Amino acid sequence: MTLTLAWRYLRGRGARSLLTTLAVVFGVMLTFGLNGILPAMVEAFTHNLLSAAGKVDLTVTSAYNQPFKPDVVNTLLRVPGVAVASPGVQRTVPLPQTADAAPDALAQVVVVGVDLATGSQLHDFPLASGRMLGGGDRSSAILNADLAAELGLGLGDQLVLPAAGGTARFTVVGLLSTVTVPGQEQVTVSLPAAQQLFGLGTRITQVEATFTQGSDRAQVEQEVAAALGPDYQVGGLSTESTLLASLQTAEVALNMFGVFALATAGFIIANSFRTVVAERRRDIGMLRAIGARRATIMRLFLAESLFQGVIGTALGIGAGWLMALGYFAAMSPIVESFIHVHIGGPVFTPATWATSILLGVGVTVAAALLPARAAGRVTPLEAMRPQLGEVYQRRVGQRAWIGAGLVVVSLFGLTTGSSGLIGLGAIVFLIGFAMVAPAVVNPIAGWASRPLELLFSREGAIARSNLQRNPGRSGITVTAVMLGLASIVATISMVTSIFAGFTSYLDKSLSSDYLLIPQSIILAQGNVAAGPRLAAEVKAVPDIGAVSTLRLAQARSDGGDVQVLGIDPATYLSVADFDWNTGSSDAAIGQLASGRWLIANGIYATQHNLIVGQAILLDTPNGQRTYHLAGIGNDYLNAKLSTLYTSQENLQRDFGVTADMLVMANRTAGADAATTTALLQKVVADYPAFRLYESQTWRAEQMKTFNSTIVIFDVLVAALALPSLLALVNTLAISVLARTREIGMLRAVGATRRQVRRMVMAESLLLSAIGTGFGAIAGLWLGYALVAAMGAVGWEMPYSFPWTGLIATVVVGVVFGVLAALGPARSAARLDVVAALHQE
Amino acid sequence: MSEQATPIVEITGLTKTYGSGAAEVTALDAVDLRVPEGQFITVMGPSGCGKSTLLNLLGGLDAPTAGAISIDGQALGELPDDRLTELRRRRIGFVFQFFNLIPVLDAVENASLPLRLDGAKDAVERATAWLERVGLGDRLHNRPDQLSGGQQQRVAIARALSTEPALVLADEPTGNLDSHSASEIGELLRQVSSDWGRSVLMVTHDPRIASFAQRLVLMRDGQIVDDVALDGSHDGPRQALERAGLL
Repeated sequence: MTLTLAWRYLRGRGARSLLTTLAVVFGVMLTFGLNGILPAMVEAFTHNLLSAAGKVDLTVTSAYNQPFKPDVVNTLLRVPGVAVASPGVQRTVPLPQTADAAPDALAQVVVVGVDLATGSQLHDFPLASGRMLGGGDRSSAILNADLAAELGLGLGDQLVLPAAGGTARFTVVGLLSTVTVPGQEQVTVSLPAAQQLFGLGTRITQVEATFTQGSDRAQVEQEVAAALGPDYQVGGLSTESTLLASLQTAEVALNMFGVFALATAGFIIANSFRTVVAERRRDIGMLRAIGARRATIMRLFLAESLFQGVIGTALGIGAGWLMALGYFAAMSPIVESFIHVHIGGPVFTPATWATSILLGVGVTVAAALLPARAAGRVTPLEAMRPQLGEVYQRRVGQRAWIGAGLVVVSLFGLTTGSSGLIGLGAIVFLIGFAMVAPAVVNPIAGWASRPLELLFSREGAIARSNLQRNPGRSGITVTAVMLGLASIVATISMVTSIFAGFTSYLDKSLSSDYLLIPQSIILAQGNVAAGPRLAAEVKAVPDIGAVSTLRLAQARSDGGDVQVLGIDPATYLSVADFDWNTGSSDAAIGQLASGRWLIANGIYATQHNLIVGQAILLDTPNGQRTYHLAGIGNDYLNAKLSTLYTSQENLQRDFGVTADMLVMANRTAGADAATTTALLQKVVADYPAFRLYESQTWRAEQMKTFNSTIVIFDVLVAALALPSLLALVNTLAISVLARTREIGMLRAVGATRRQVRRMVMAESLLLSAIGTGFGAIAGLWLGYALVAAMGAVGWEMPYSFPWTGLIATVVVGVVFGVLAALGPARSAARLDVVAALHQE
Repeated sequence: MSEQATPIVEITGLTKTYGSGAAEVTALDAVDLRVPEGQFITVMGPSGCGKSTLLNLLGGLDAPTAGAISIDGQALGELPDDRLTELRRRRIGFVFQFFNLIPVLDAVENASLPLRLDGAKDAVERATAWLERVGLGDRLHNRPDQLSGGQQQRVAIARALSTEPALVLADEPTGNLDSHSASEIGELLRQVSSDWGRSVLMVTHDPRIASFAQRLVLMRDGQIVDDVALDGSHDGPRQALERAGLL
């Protein structure tokens, strides 16, 4: 009975039910779609890593990403349960790029040096043609046939690879029939050849092992770890873990959007049900009079919301699925060309399904709960009365105070610095603001209508008094508009801040005229570094002024990996700078020269709660060392990775690293750019791992990448904007419907159709203007909170005020106001006066 | 007058005041009234005389300040909200001035609402039977907006009767109808009491409709000022009103 009635009400108010249900659809779509996108990317990476692992049960690598002595193999073999242990070398090397290479041309390959005796027990080498590597092969290589085709190589051809001291040439002797996994383009050489290529001597970078059958994997792993000590990493292929970590950060951020959209949907639904309850007081009163219990009435409304929740969630999941598909269609080429990882399709985990369904249905029903309770409280006497105005006023006052309280409380959430509390604070803030809105609508309408009354001289005043006479209803509309637009302004704030942050890093970090960069520097793993000769050769070029370099080492601290960059304190500032956090300055760079001092980037400092001057224990290849924090600052290249900076002197002493990863150089004043660039090109030609960029070009390239990703954010903003338009249309249509009789009266006493139309339009404009104002304020605050929350999860960025976004939002808000009023204004003007007067 | 028959409604010293202090308004002032089974009684009086308050108190929609109400042998004052709701559902039928039909339900569904609320399995059959009796056998599946005012009020009467109540309370049932439809509804309500044996208590402003009742109670300032038997003549109520100085 309740279900039938609920269903009939839903169907009977088709247009409105559709509008509110759409709000749920959008919320679920974002939650479901976004959650389907990131796990899929994470899975793609994990899958690629796993498939590369072959039959290997366990991999040992250095905890510091350093080569190590081959006797680790013996230690491993002494552990019970280990059957085979094979020493090997595995490093990523960039491929020399030609200037006219396609943007998605392969940029790097993984060079694997296998110990031929043991390696074949772990890996299959199914030959399609040619031969397997032999024991004495120092300059032969085998690779997958499909990869060879991509590289344009055949049997007997020469593969040129960058080496520490220049280049090395390998002859392709065998082609394998296995299919290449994108992201794992491998070239296999003999172990001695790889050691020679990377200048490792007898050292190796990994040991792969298999277990005897029936052994307890976890136990063997544990025993291996115990036998090797903390300098080695056992089991995990951790080389890509930093990339995974930054993907997970993004996942947190995207989840916030989804939850946010659903919260907005919740408000729209709550508002819609509030109106519906007010509208149906007579019906409810009658039902109570003829014997329906309070609980029955409540159940009726909850059933109605349940229907909407279920339908909205189902459609939302469908839409989210399509959204994720669209995303992959758009993003796959970009991802594949930049990091050579093949991403399949969206992956929806059971958790995503559960979250989306629970949130979608839950939010809808929860949003209807308060209105449903209010409906239960409607007395049967309502059935006897002629329709009265909705009685909101007194409770509006109370609620406004509670709301103001909530807004104040939410401010504390922002100051905590904890991402959970900031997120919670943002939601509390929205609720608080929504409660305050109805109480302040009247005074604001009085003020805001003045300019409007210039445009709509007669109708403006009527519109204003319509709006003021029913602050409850006006409050609902204003709140709905506010919520929709607040989410847009907040999103735009965040996007603007992210981009401003990166641009600022870009400008400050890379202020030199020239950059010599390995091809995959942002991934910072496995690059071939150059000896000090390269920097010296650059310095020797005429008209080159300051030259400074970056060096890279890995350390462990607090059980986690961190990359340590070595800079030259004397020259660094002449070619680059940090984007300093409050309390730090360029002085910190000078301090690096005076002992074991560090500069930490924002992510690292936030993760470890660091303050300047604090001691930091680092596990280095030479043992544990105590450093002190000189300052906190960010640079562009490492904005997303946990990074520490110290002097190159410290890096040499504690990590034994002397090779340069990146060379930055300035021209002297008045030098001819073209000549200098040409001279530098000649120097770089001997170092195929490096590519010469003029900083302007590099910057332009980076900006291009940004701009292609901003499209995704634009889509997101649009997805957030649509529900707010729906909310406005919905509430306006309701307010026109509710006033049918009044409009009939106006027509009867002499208002022309045009005047009625203009009156509805003026009211809509006034409402949307106030809602837009509120939305802008709330959105700015929320945006600030979001930026702070991202900082708290380790993605620090300076807050940037979204001027253009704000203007766009205001325009959109007002245009929406006009659009939303078109339909209702027309139907109001067309009302049959007699019928309208008879309607209750 | 059949005062000796079992009373369906028995009211003693019923008082209802609104507000307090200087703003106190006495809507009902120590009213006594008995309505025997099957009697059609109409209450008239100027606006604000307390007739609607009386109806609301009888229906258990509002609580009295003092006095006792007994409906079908049940004292209302002792009942908690849920029991009161149940009593309304099973023993009292309501007919409102504005019909109060659910716009999204058709005639049968509207008429069967109280039965469905009560969980009756044969709700549709019983509601259909009543709709046929009130002359809407051919309109069973029309929604309210497809029915005339008089037809809508018939649906409301069928709804009120569907649970076989002892008492039907009608608040200005013809206030929103043209005179022809109003007469039809008056006739129907008479039938409710005479043919189907329900007590009917109707509040109206219309002397012509009042003349369908067997008994007329006149009220002024919260008190009953006259209580007369009607003979079915159209002038009866008018004459009574004139005598009481209410016209």
